[in-house]
Amino acid sequence: MSLEDEYRSLRHGAALSRMDHVGLVRVSGDDATEAVDAICSGDLWVRDGRMLQTLILGERGQPVADVYVCPDDDACILMFEGITTEELSACLAQYADADLAIELEDLRPAYELISVNGPYAWEALSKWLTPDVIGLPYLSFYHFDHGTCFRAGKTGEYGYDLAVRSEHVERAWEDLLELVGALGSGEVSLETLDLSALENGFFSVRHASVEGLTPLELQLQWRVSARKRFPGAAAIEERRAKGMERRLTHFVARDGVESGDPIRDADGPVGQVTTAAFSPGIGGVTGMALLDLSVAHPGIDAFFVPGPNVDRPIRTVSSPLLFNRSLLVDPHRHTYATRDETSDPPLWLGSLP
Amino acid sequence: MTTNVSDYVSSRGAVLDRVRRMLRDTMKLRIEPESIDPDVPLFGTGLGMDSVDAVELVVQLDAVFGLTLAGSLWVSAKLRTVNTIVDAILELGNEP
Amino acid sequence: MSESPHITGWGVASALGVGRDRFCAALLRGESGIATVRRFDTSLFTTHVGAMVAGYESDDRDPTLLSHEFGMLALHDALAHARLELGALQSMRAALTLGASLFGDHTTESLAHDLAKELRISGPAITVSTACTSSTQAIGFGADLIREGFADVVLAGGIDVLTPALFAGFHALGVLSKKPCTPFGRQMGTTLGEGAGFVVIERGGLRDAVTRARLRGYGLSGDAYHETSPEPRGRGVAAAIRGALDDAGASAVEIGYLNAHGTGTVANDTAEWCAVQSVFGSDLGGSLPLSSSKGHLGHAQSAAGVLEVISTLECMGAGLAPTTAGFEEARPGGPPRPVGSKQPKPLVYELALSSNSAFGGSNCALVFGKAKPATVSDDDRRRVFVSGATALCAGVSSIEELASTYEAESPLSEAELQVDLASQLPRVDLRGIDRASELLTTVVSRALADAGVQLRGETRARTGLIAGVLRASPDSLYRFHTSLERRGFAKPDTTAFAQVLPSAAQGACAKALNIRGPQSTVTIGEGSGLMAAVMSAWMLARRRDSDRIVAAAVDVRSEHSAEGALADAACALVLCTEPTAVEVAGIGLAGPGQLDEAIAEAKRRSGLSERVESLVELPNPFGGMPATSSAFALAHAIGALRRGKSKNTLVATAGTTASVAMILTSDGVTHDD
Repeated sequence: MSLEDEYRSLRHGAALSRMDHVGLVRVSGDDATEAVDAICSGDLWVRDGRMLQTLILGERGQPVADVYVCPDDDACILMFEGITTEELSACLAQYADADLAIELEDLRPAYELISVNGPYAWEALSKWLTPDVIGLPYLSFYHFDHGTCFRAGKTGEYGYDLAVRSEHVERAWEDLLELVGALGSGEVSLETLDLSALENGFFSVRHASVEGLTPLELQLQWRVSARKRFPGAAAIEERRAKGMERRLTHFVARDGVESGDPIRDADGPVGQVTTAAFSPGIGGVTGMALLDLSVAHPGIDAFFVPGPNVDRPIRTVSSPLLFNRSLLVDPHRHTYATRDETSDPPLWLGSLP
Repeated sequence: MTTNVSDYVSSRGAVLDRVRRMLRDTMKLRIEPESIDPDVPLFGTGLGMDSVDAVELVVQLDAVFGLTLAGSLWVSAKLRTVNTIVDAILELGNEP
Repeated sequence: MSESPHITGWGVASALGVGRDRFCAALLRGESGIATVRRFDTSLFTTHVGAMVAGYESDDRDPTLLSHEFGMLALHDALAHARLELGALQSMRAALTLGASLFGDHTTESLAHDLAKELRISGPAITVSTACTSSTQAIGFGADLIREGFADVVLAGGIDVLTPALFAGFHALGVLSKKPCTPFGRQMGTTLGEGAGFVVIERGGLRDAVTRARLRGYGLSGDAYHETSPEPRGRGVAAAIRGALDDAGASAVEIGYLNAHGTGTVANDTAEWCAVQSVFGSDLGGSLPLSSSKGHLGHAQSAAGVLEVISTLECMGAGLAPTTAGFEEARPGGPPRPVGSKQPKPLVYELALSSNSAFGGSNCALVFGKAKPATVSDDDRRRVFVSGATALCAGVSSIEELASTYEAESPLSEAELQVDLASQLPRVDLRGIDRASELLTTVVSRALADAGVQLRGETRARTGLIAGVLRASPDSLYRFHTSLERRGFAKPDTTAFAQVLPSAAQGACAKALNIRGPQSTVTIGEGSGLMAAVMSAWMLARRRDSDRIVAAAVDVRSEHSAEGALADAACALVLCTEPTAVEVAGIGLAGPGQLDEAIAEAKRRSGLSERVESLVELPNPFGGMPATSSAFALAHAIGALRRGKSKNTLVATAGTTASVAMILTSDGVTHDD
């Protein structure tokens, strides 16, 4: 499928993807939670069967890994992007107390991770698993015969990450492909997932990042504890004391805007584009810009990317960008086959500059 | 143009501060209001508000900002982050 | 002593009619008692239906009056059905176990107190206040009183009244359906109801009574998940059902019918179905006839459990399975084929299971029916020990400081009690935790630490919590009622609503510490702390579903309560089955004003009649802490035993609706009678 088709199938149906870029480990032992707590930036206020989005930071306060912490009885399952399992292991060795009784088990290759995302993802899952999966709240997980179902997703639609035992994954892939096919969809690439994440304001550790950015600038303070010690804590405190100068802000543009482009207003520079991509959903470019704190607000039309011939105006906007179709779908009442999108509000309520 | 921007960010910034303060108090967070990211998700993740908190939020928005939101679809569509609350207040608010 | 008690009668005051005859006739015709609410104005709400007691639809008298009236109607109806004359009742060793969660500034034991007094029930009256599982638990504990030999006949049930405030609270949470609820069906949400129900449970062979069914057992658990939502995979419900089957000595395949909690809400019905499939397997679970009575009776809150048990008993006797009024088409994720015909359908079954779940995550299931139980020998009883104790009030934060206060006879510190729970529990989200929950969690956490217990893995499901408290949180009540006044009935403070229940502190504590075993909130007024300990002791002795139960009590001073506690106080004791230096040698329970009987009973059971020292005569420096002071006395006794200052100690209290006694020993030699 073309990117446009993939995007459409994700935003309106249910799309299947391989998640080979995501690490999956189980930390077990008496001190598992304590060890994970030592390396993650956020307070681990998360119950059994739930998931918490947090970060692992480097010494300079920069995000190094994007992590879901999933307490599973006394063990902790970690689903993470941005570092390898070896690097995670090294991190634990470096920052968790050496006396802690823990064991780290790489769940790959025993398990493979595949993902279903879209407003009707739950429908595919309710047939592939059992109908009660529709009762699984966002950021919860449970174990089934051949694996674990995590309800998460970084697209703003219903999303389920499935850790499936390797010996069953081929069959699972086939079955799920058929199920999403009935929902007008198929396999989508990482590029489509990333675009969807960008539109919905999800942080991606893979997006081009600018040196020296901490959770303060990246609007990830909610993933950072105000009271505990963790790698990068000192750097964040220092930045707070010094004062934030810039903040990441969402924007849209017609065209001709790319990562790294400078942003100005009539009086001078105000920031820089950090990520940009064409969005079929809005028919224009969307992305993130690092702007001076004083003007890092949505709803501003005064900025532009200077061009050799013509300047490209940009408009700052609030995240998430879209009125996701998932907000209009109720698994207790709707089905893909009987959907009627004609009376739905438009996917995007804004306009391009 | 610049003057408009600075007026806008000034009044928006003021509303943002008040919304952050209101959320901090409603959610009993033990952090400074400034630590609440403007684009932080409200529900599920981010501030982790649940359905019980949602009810209280709607009441507070009405009481403090004169923002009346009819129907739960409005709530889930309009109120997704702190910035979207500010947007709604600037667009529809009617301070008592 | 351990045989399954006999159910000899029951009575109701319900939306389907007052009195068994009317109730049964309406039930068998498949009628629903849900109608447009006439008692109060519902124009501000998006739903206008409820299930009021027949004949009381417009009666808006004080809910306390209505509670009492409903209760007396149901009690008299039950006694009539059991053919038990009032005079006969009064000459038996009778007791009352009542599920009630009063919504006003009354102490929760007052309703039980008044009812017991009016019927001249001389034995103990125990109130369970765990919202929607209150009456289910009350029936279970009633069975325990018989099985433990503390009573020969128990009137067990529950009462609730539908008030505008209650309606407003549930409405604001978004859990009410627009039209009459359709459990397991297409419409989401529940409908509130009210009523009263009682079953008469008796020891067999004491009088010429008709045994209509046997009460085989009960199971309890906690979700430790959320204040108002159930754990989505039904793990807690499954644990309660398994506990009930175990207590009943029955296997899943013997259950011929299941009466579900089935409120009709999005969260409950899917979770409950997960639980049923988990316990019964998808084959058995798929074919097990199940229904929910809430389409007939609405959600009767503290009376839901007993009314649903009675519905089942009536139908079982008529060879029928109760139906789910209002059900038409199955909702995705719920049971695909509940009994949903217009009327109860023919079904012969010998054993039924009834299940309920509540705010705060408590779950309770009952197993009952005509099937003959296997006899259980007393040798299965376990010995009970004390492994942890802690005390907390101004100037007291340990057993040693408690001892000093007792011995020095000095007045209590006037300073305000400060706790720093966040440092004690760094990995727990304590946002919004109220004072009672904070204090209870502090002492329970410390007591478990004192006992050397780490709540990991299986330990969580095998650790229970019984809390003795006297009232709903006055501060939350105040906040809730103020929000109704200031913001109107359409916009109450829902956080306050969730925290109002007397069981809110126990639920919050269980959630914070991940305690998933049997749990409850009980009261006998003064002395509730010791009552919680006595209950924990008998539960550990006779049951197999937990290895330790924390008995705790909390009092919170509030400017918003007219006659509440005078100071903040909390106490927790860990009772367990692993041997320690301090053993529970005997327990005694009797009616109010029968302290001597309770003490004599405890002595008799301990076999230590002459050698017991008593701490009862010690001056009690802890006045004004009605729930906690008796627990402090127990904690002090434990401390003394541990330090070798005594060998056998009696702690007893003349509680408001029961007299309670416990004998502890460090002698290592005890026997039961």
